[in-house]
Amino acid sequence: MNILAIEDDLEMASFVQRILSEEGHSVETVHDGESGLALARSKEFDLLIVDRMLPRKDGLELVREFRESGGNAPTLFLSALGDVDHRVEGLKAGGDDYLTKPFAPDELLARVDALGRRGGTEAPITILKVGDLEMNLLARTVKRGEESIDLQPREFRLLEFLMRNAGQVVTRTMLLEKVWDYHFDPQTNVIDVHISRLRGKIDKDFDRPLLHTVRGAGYRLQA
Amino acid sequence: MRLPLPSFVRTTTFRLAVVHAVTFLIFTFGLLIYLFYSTAGYMRSQSVKELDGEVQALAAAFNTGGMARLNQSVVERSSVPGPYFYVLQDADGQTISGDFPSIPDEVPDEESVETNFNYQTLNRNGEIEVRSANGIIIRLPNGAALMVAYDLGQRRQIVDRIIQTMWTALPIGLALSLIGGLIISRWAARRAEQLTRTTDGIISGDLSRRAPVIGSGDEFDRLSERLNAMLDKLEHLMMTTRHAGDAIAHDLRSPLTRLRNRLENDLRDGEKVDREESLERTIAEVDAVLATFNAILSLSRIQAGDAAKFKQVDISMLGEELAELYQPAAEDEGLSFDSEIEGGLTVDGDRSLLGQAMANLLDNAMKYTPKGGAMTLRVRTNSHDQAEISVTDTGPGIPEADRERAVKRFVRLEASRTQPGNGLGLAMVDAIARLHHGKFELCDGPGEPPATGLRAALLLPKAQE
Repeated sequence: MNILAIEDDLEMASFVQRILSEEGHSVETVHDGESGLALARSKEFDLLIVDRMLPRKDGLELVREFRESGGNAPTLFLSALGDVDHRVEGLKAGGDDYLTKPFAPDELLARVDALGRRGGTEAPITILKVGDLEMNLLARTVKRGEESIDLQPREFRLLEFLMRNAGQVVTRTMLLEKVWDYHFDPQTNVIDVHISRLRGKIDKDFDRPLLHTVRGAGYRLQA
Repeated sequence: MRLPLPSFVRTTTFRLAVVHAVTFLIFTFGLLIYLFYSTAGYMRSQSVKELDGEVQALAAAFNTGGMARLNQSVVERSSVPGPYFYVLQDADGQTISGDFPSIPDEVPDEESVETNFNYQTLNRNGEIEVRSANGIIIRLPNGAALMVAYDLGQRRQIVDRIIQTMWTALPIGLALSLIGGLIISRWAARRAEQLTRTTDGIISGDLSRRAPVIGSGDEFDRLSERLNAMLDKLEHLMMTTRHAGDAIAHDLRSPLTRLRNRLENDLRDGEKVDREESLERTIAEVDAVLATFNAILSLSRIQAGDAAKFKQVDISMLGEELAELYQPAAEDEGLSFDSEIEGGLTVDGDRSLLGQAMANLLDNAMKYTPKGGAMTLRVRTNSHDQAEISVTDTGPGIPEADRERAVKRFVRLEASRTQPGNGLGLAMVDAIARLHHGKFELCDGPGEPPATGLRAALLLPKAQE
């Protein structure tokens, strides 16, 4: 992916550049708001990563202006301001996701991947498939191979999110935000338990597991 | 170019005094002018009435006794000293009798006419003075003419006296109104100065200063009350910030010290250390410090928070969701988890914070309840018609003496030292309860002593319909 990272903290900028480059993305970094906006307008990027507090034009203003001038590249806010209010401001300004600093590298990668796929032309999907696992979004049924799997509503949403992000790492925080709509972290392992229950339903009686735990990061659904 | 004004001109005192003086003067002179015209008008109408009376009396004399009788009356009246003049002329214009040389105006052909004229006379000091008079001239049926006039000199004297009084009154009035203005505006300025002194005190660091409220309920009192309310809020915020600063300094120092010591140890051990494992542990510890730091920040924000952005939150639904989120984990811990949730209960609040509070209580119950125990999440209306969110468990409970301390920041009771956590969980629940104008209570759970268990309840006012 072609990524523009606008971040004034040089240390943070090179950290972001490094972890994204290692995954094969090409990353340009800019250190202030105005040149960031200029570059975002002059070149086509697949994704913008924007710090909220930038010299010469703050991140919110930058994204707002970028959107007003017709820019539609997906945008991820990076910010030390992590309140729900700040998040809402970021999304209202035209951001697609919001990640609070400090973050784990995997968290950033997972979100970048999720946003990257969102950019494509998206016909409404009714069937999701990962390996021999198949989810019908209209009938709300799941089957693996020929065997149909009975899921609770929340498990269905959890699996849907994992399937939509198949092949990518999905973090616990992402699951809490997207599946449960909570913007706080429980201290205990509540998410892990839900995942293991889901795993019990979709993987238990099959030879090849689909739902993998990525140590220290989260989970990945992969055929 | 504008000349610089002396500084006292810019004071409110001066301006109010001037405005007061000018207003006072305008009103005073308005009143005097009204007095003048009404007095003069009265005297004028009075003199005309008296003239009429004289004329009527003389006309009656003519009607009853003809010219002879009239002449006699005129002579009689002329001999009485007073402000009236009488002149009787025959048809040829020759003066027959009276105390004035002749009729000074043209005699009308019929009936009567009013006239004004000036005449010269000697005053008491022998000087010539011009006086004016006002009279009525009548043509009698036999062609003779009669004039009765009234000496206006006297009336003018009264009017002159009034005008003279006005001129004397001017400086007195001006002085009085300036003094009045000064007194009034000094009073206002003094109250303003009290406010200035209060703010000066605050600027110089004494945040406990308050503006005086004298109980008059006037604008100054209202302003002072608002100012004081603002200061209370500010002081509270400052305290919170200061506490947060202290807490951060105090409670991040120990984990950071621990982290540093461990790194130091690993460095000394050199080759023996598994580098990767060491770094991973370091990252985990730094993450824990960051999590504590975030918790401190959000706790401070909650404590300083305002309820302005509250929306209706369906806590029944929130409870159902959290029960669903926690149930599997609780069961994995070997706990039986129940939820008793009354439907459709709403409060005015912040969904995320209320969810956080419930999650903290559930986390706590899960952490401290031993295997085989039970925990219950209840959402219901209590007997005081409050919305009550409670979590009970069959764990060790918290001794009554420690309960108040347990909701303070960073207090980790003896029994809990071995458990992970930052000591902010219950403090946060307490702060969230307060922010929602509610209360947080800890009491005995359902168990038998000594393991009574714990019942942690959040009591919130229900949403207004």
